[in-house]
Amino acid sequence: MKILYQIAIIFFLCLMGEIVSALLPFPFPSAIAAMLLLLAALFSGILRIDHIKEKSDFLLSNMAFFFIPAGVKVIEHFDTISSIWWQFLLISILSTVLVFLITAGTVSLVMRFEERKEK
Amino acid sequence: MMETVFASPFFGITLSIAAYSIGCWINRKTKLALLNPLLISYLIIIPLLLVTGIPLEWYDNGGDIINMFLSPATAVLAITIYRQRDLLKKHILSVTAGSLAGSLSSILIVLTLSKLFGLSDEITMSLIPKSITTPMAIAVSQNLGGIESLTVLSVIITGITGSIIGPVLIKAFRIRNEIASGMAFGSASHAVGTSKAIELGEVQGALSSIALVMSGIITVILSLLLF
Repeated sequence: MKILYQIAIIFFLCLMGEIVSALLPFPFPSAIAAMLLLLAALFSGILRIDHIKEKSDFLLSNMAFFFIPAGVKVIEHFDTISSIWWQFLLISILSTVLVFLITAGTVSLVMRFEERKEK
Repeated sequence: MMETVFASPFFGITLSIAAYSIGCWINRKTKLALLNPLLISYLIIIPLLLVTGIPLEWYDNGGDIINMFLSPATAVLAITIYRQRDLLKKHILSVTAGSLAGSLSSILIVLTLSKLFGLSDEITMSLIPKSITTPMAIAVSQNLGGIESLTVLSVIITGITGSIIGPVLIKAFRIRNEIASGMAFGSASHAVGTSKAIELGEVQGALSSIALVMSGIITVILSLLLF
């Protein structure tokens, strides 16, 4: 029963997220709306982590698995991809490396700046 | 008979779990980052569907059910952030700066490279949200007039690249700051990178989830403002 309640809580939040996303005047992903609602529920004390712990741990620890079907859909777009596949791959990989380094660099820099200010 | 078996939702789900388990097993045995469980899953499922001629719609009867969990999986990232709220409060400035730098540079790099390679607008727009998590990336792509599944493909390549190359970059560039490396995983390679960051440590995992959420929201806003 415990897991059942936890599933109900999380799915209810997702449903609320879809309602919020439909009401907003600009396109906003419902999953993120649900996440912000959960964050608000946790901070306000309406929900405690142990209310949803097992179900959340299940979702978080198997995160990558849930991406499988979305990627398999690529089968449908082999034609579009075949003429530009190496540019597509190169942009995807190169930008990831650069964004990784730029983010890490920015964070390190700002933190060093903050530490110096504290001293 | 064929349809009874392979069009059943149980087929798609069982195949996905089997492929993923094999992927995890190979990854654990070889300890090679390139043999990412998600990548192995695709290398099993896609050729299997193509060779046997099982239509994608049949697989998707199960696949759609798995897809449905993307939204709850994204939502519960809130817990990771909540658990690390003190860390977030303490580093709010560097976290915001990092997410902003990551999102903006991701968009600019994609635009520049796409122009350089002469890619069509449709494909460029599909690539713009590549650094953010799937549900958000799809929303941005639709908004900009991109092709949804190309966006998903690029998002996944990005995620796998981040989780493979991230640890290499950390070593090569001696990124010892756990907050910086955690942020880098989340901002460059969303939830897939975050699953790698969680393996590396709790601080990295938390900052990576924070970064994936922040970068996602910033990218949505930037895409509304810039285009």
